[in-house]
Amino acid sequence: MSSLALEVLTGAVTGGTAILYAASGETISERAGVVNLGTEGNMLVGALAAYAVASQTGNPWAGVAAAGVAGGLLAFVFAWFVIDRKANQLATGLLVLFLALGLTSLFGGSYVGAQVKALTAWKIPLLSKIPWVGTILFNHDPLTYLSFVLVPAIWWLLFRSRWGVLLRAAGERSEVLSTYGHRVAPLRYLAVVAGGVLGGIGGAHISIAYANAWFENMIQGRGFIAVAVVIFAARQPFRVMAGAWLFGAALALSPALQARGYGINQFALDALPYLLTIVVLVVLGRRGVAEAPEELKKVFETAGN
Amino acid sequence: MTAPTAPPASSDPPGVDDEAPIDLTDHVAPVVADEPPTPRSWKGAGRWAVAMSLAIVIFGGLMLMKGVNPVEAYRSMIQSTFSNSDAFGGIFVRATPIMLAALAVSVPARAGLINVGGEGQLIIGGVAGAGVSLAAGGSLPAPVVLLLMALGAMAAGAAWSGIAAGLRLGFGINEAVTTLLLNYVAVDVMLYLIYASWKDKNGSGQPASAPLPVGQRLALLGTSRVHIGIIIALVAAVICWLVLRRTSWGFRLSVVGGNPEAARRSGLRVNSLVLSAMLVGGALAGLGGLTQLAGAEFKLRPGFCATYGYLGFLASWLGRHRPLQVAVAALVLSAIAIGGDSLQIDSNLPGATVNILIALVLLAAFAAQRGAKESS
Amino acid sequence: MPKRRSSLLALVLALSLIAAACGKNTGSTAASGGGGGGGASSAPGKGSTAVGFIFVGPKSDFGYNQAAYDGAKAVEKAYPDLKVLTAENVPEDDNATRVMEGMIAKGAKIIFATSYGHLDAAMKVAAAHPDVAVVQQGNFIKGTIPANAGTYFGTVYEPVYLAGIAAGKATKSNKLGYVYAFPIPQTISNINAFTLGAQSVNPKAQTLVVNTSNWCDPSKQADAAKSLLSQGVDVITQHQDCTGTITKAAEAAGAMVVGYHADASSLAPKGWLTGSEWAWADLYTDIVKTALAGSFTGSKYNANFRVGFKDGKNPFVQSKYGPSVDAATQALIAKAKTLISTTGSPFAGPVIAQDGTVLWAKGVVPAYAEIETKNTVFVKGVVGQIPKS
Repeated sequence: MSSLALEVLTGAVTGGTAILYAASGETISERAGVVNLGTEGNMLVGALAAYAVASQTGNPWAGVAAAGVAGGLLAFVFAWFVIDRKANQLATGLLVLFLALGLTSLFGGSYVGAQVKALTAWKIPLLSKIPWVGTILFNHDPLTYLSFVLVPAIWWLLFRSRWGVLLRAAGERSEVLSTYGHRVAPLRYLAVVAGGVLGGIGGAHISIAYANAWFENMIQGRGFIAVAVVIFAARQPFRVMAGAWLFGAALALSPALQARGYGINQFALDALPYLLTIVVLVVLGRRGVAEAPEELKKVFETAGN
Repeated sequence: MTAPTAPPASSDPPGVDDEAPIDLTDHVAPVVADEPPTPRSWKGAGRWAVAMSLAIVIFGGLMLMKGVNPVEAYRSMIQSTFSNSDAFGGIFVRATPIMLAALAVSVPARAGLINVGGEGQLIIGGVAGAGVSLAAGGSLPAPVVLLLMALGAMAAGAAWSGIAAGLRLGFGINEAVTTLLLNYVAVDVMLYLIYASWKDKNGSGQPASAPLPVGQRLALLGTSRVHIGIIIALVAAVICWLVLRRTSWGFRLSVVGGNPEAARRSGLRVNSLVLSAMLVGGALAGLGGLTQLAGAEFKLRPGFCATYGYLGFLASWLGRHRPLQVAVAALVLSAIAIGGDSLQIDSNLPGATVNILIALVLLAAFAAQRGAKESS
Repeated sequence: MPKRRSSLLALVLALSLIAAACGKNTGSTAASGGGGGGGASSAPGKGSTAVGFIFVGPKSDFGYNQAAYDGAKAVEKAYPDLKVLTAENVPEDDNATRVMEGMIAKGAKIIFATSYGHLDAAMKVAAAHPDVAVVQQGNFIKGTIPANAGTYFGTVYEPVYLAGIAAGKATKSNKLGYVYAFPIPQTISNINAFTLGAQSVNPKAQTLVVNTSNWCDPSKQADAAKSLLSQGVDVITQHQDCTGTITKAAEAAGAMVVGYHADASSLAPKGWLTGSEWAWADLYTDIVKTALAGSFTGSKYNANFRVGFKDGKNPFVQSKYGPSVDAATQALIAKAKTLISTTGSPFAGPVIAQDGTVLWAKGVVPAYAEIETKNTVFVKGVVGQIPKS
């Protein structure tokens, strides 16, 4: 049984990493008042870009960089429509996802059989020797380790840096920001594009560190999970990490049980994180914390057009 | 830009009762009224034309990059979609659940609510329909069962959106968030059932429910493969249009949507209006799930109605939540999707390529739409 | 106002177009033959100018669908005058019907529906077009088989059984791992044959199974491989449409790999044992030849056609051996192959199910037709349960 817990917890980190990147990116974006339902699309273009470039250059880090660029570019397109053209964010996010599905299918076919040098697991000396914790946290690929650093960095950026204050102001009270002579649009662009870059890197984790393959539509809904994680975490970076790992654990539980000979209907398990998210919303809502940024509320509460 | 600014509070007559909202006309105007044709709307039309051409040119360029002659590809796309009766009929089959899911967005939108849950409500509608069929199957005459299935589907869809409405009214949780989350739960509910107790015992072993008996399926129009679901959907669109436009309920919804605070102060029961709008929306999508089950697929399987709810969401925005325009938008989206067949068969492009065209056309429409508004 | 009027107009137009579309015959609402469907007297497929293929997944999946697509390309090569129409990602629902109809409208009188779940749609199309030969890959038509329809498949489990022998010989932990998508007879037959093959040379061998509920979700495959490896599995094989992820995961973990669908030995230069792969070219070409000649009806393809080692030309062939398979094992496999090509079968009795029921008693050698229909439960030696139904 303890081996099961160990395996699921390790799997939670491995499987949760891609979600964590994408959800962290979405957190930055939402803090600036922009929700991007097309996170799945950012991951998809990132996955293909990483795989294609890694197979061409033989360097997985070049792939990671390309994934960031691809995710950022797609997010830029999204940003132009929702910031400059003021198109509805939810609808535009879905459209950008459709765009990504089509583009990656059109240009990805030739990379399906390609070979890449993957980002492989690297045991951190000493730390990986710690019982339990060592296995769960310190026997992963470098992108996973990077995510450990990324989360506190984003927290610092959002809540301790001047840039973060401005960015959150763009999400809370953009008119105040304008009054003080700051331009809101560039801040939002920056946040959305940063979100796209991280989403792309999340996709790269799937294609060149985790599954080591490129196939059409290979993200299979993990980008939507990332959006749910951000809601679950009320846009708090560390809670995003916990949420991503929680959803990762739910994904890891089914194969772990099956390999031990248990036949389970995994879909009851799959629904749990979403239901839990709703419960969290109810509890937090009661306490009056976890309010969405004001500008984001406007998006969620503005059905007209 | 969207929420019309509330007039000074003093203009609100105190104690207006539920049935007499006449004094609120001025709140409503921006949402309901259409602009008269002015030179500006010609300018808007020009912008539309430019945006659409741009979308078509960009997609053509992409095809060119893959070595496909875009002129030839567009030509055979139009030809094979409109000259082949099955492809043409396919537009209406595809449009049916999308249209109903789109209306499920439009009606709550009138009250200022965002229903992102068409996807889940479609699926739950299908699940309820299949459930009623399983429960009542042999014991009742088929048309009665079909009617019960439709009622069950609508009730289930309404219940699904009702959860979101309840969470909003009870706990102040935004419905856009909860409806989105409930989409995933709906998929899992369906998968849970078709992997377990509802799995077809005589089936192939793939997870799917047993096919509906022939009597419980929607009739076809003539000799075509188009089932009567499209008529149901179009009638629903017209009814939504009439109800939103002509009834006091529809009027009050737009008051709430225009300015909930003013509506509350003038004595409207905002909560029950919010709830009713969401329930009606969910019921429409639930019905959409049933038309897909009883009209096109006959069984639940993984991927049942997948992306149709999101396409419906897009159709509603494309049609600016106005039921008749939304219905047309659903038909247009389906036509493009069906045109994707030809991109594969005639031009040998990957199947998912058509998603690019859908996205480009809609992005162009959004850009032009907003542009038109800014100039007005 | 004019805007609304114009959209109402558009709706009326749409409605009248529907009416026009179905105006041909408003008599009955029965799902009888629609479409054009030329002279019913002509033999199905005869004189066709095109051949249509539909695939459930992407043509480039390095697996099942790509193998079928390669078969379609072979037909194109063999018949340069025929137009080969292909459509990928065709879901296993009513969309498949429409896509096939689209191909028929382009002149195709021979249609290959290549996914297991395409059968319903294929039968619908066959019923509507008596002059079109519709063949489906891998499923079974139950009951009477129409004069213009049939199914075909290789006896997949035969090479899988042989690969099981290689796995049984190679394993040190006596634990083999199998990742599969859905519990359909095809996958269950494979898992059972693999286990029986391994046990024929290593009675202690067990097969641990994990299903992914998806023909191609690479991340889930990675999870599944990881779970199996952590249970001490040292040989991994799979029944998925896209196969790269599991092969690479096994190689990276130092485990051995048995391939499926395609020769992936280049992805696992160290761990590759052997595998099974498709070679559809001959069978596809022969079906097209038969139909073009007008002799489809009554032919062996106008049935649930299964071809195996016994009647030769199994379209599912053994992949090449990896470096670690020694001559003795290769000889064992060759011997087994001779046996199942003549008087034997991977499922020659006794075959006992997990719960102890006897599937085939001692001395029984089941016929091809019987094998897939009875393989609905796992045999003894498989660790894991079929998702409950």
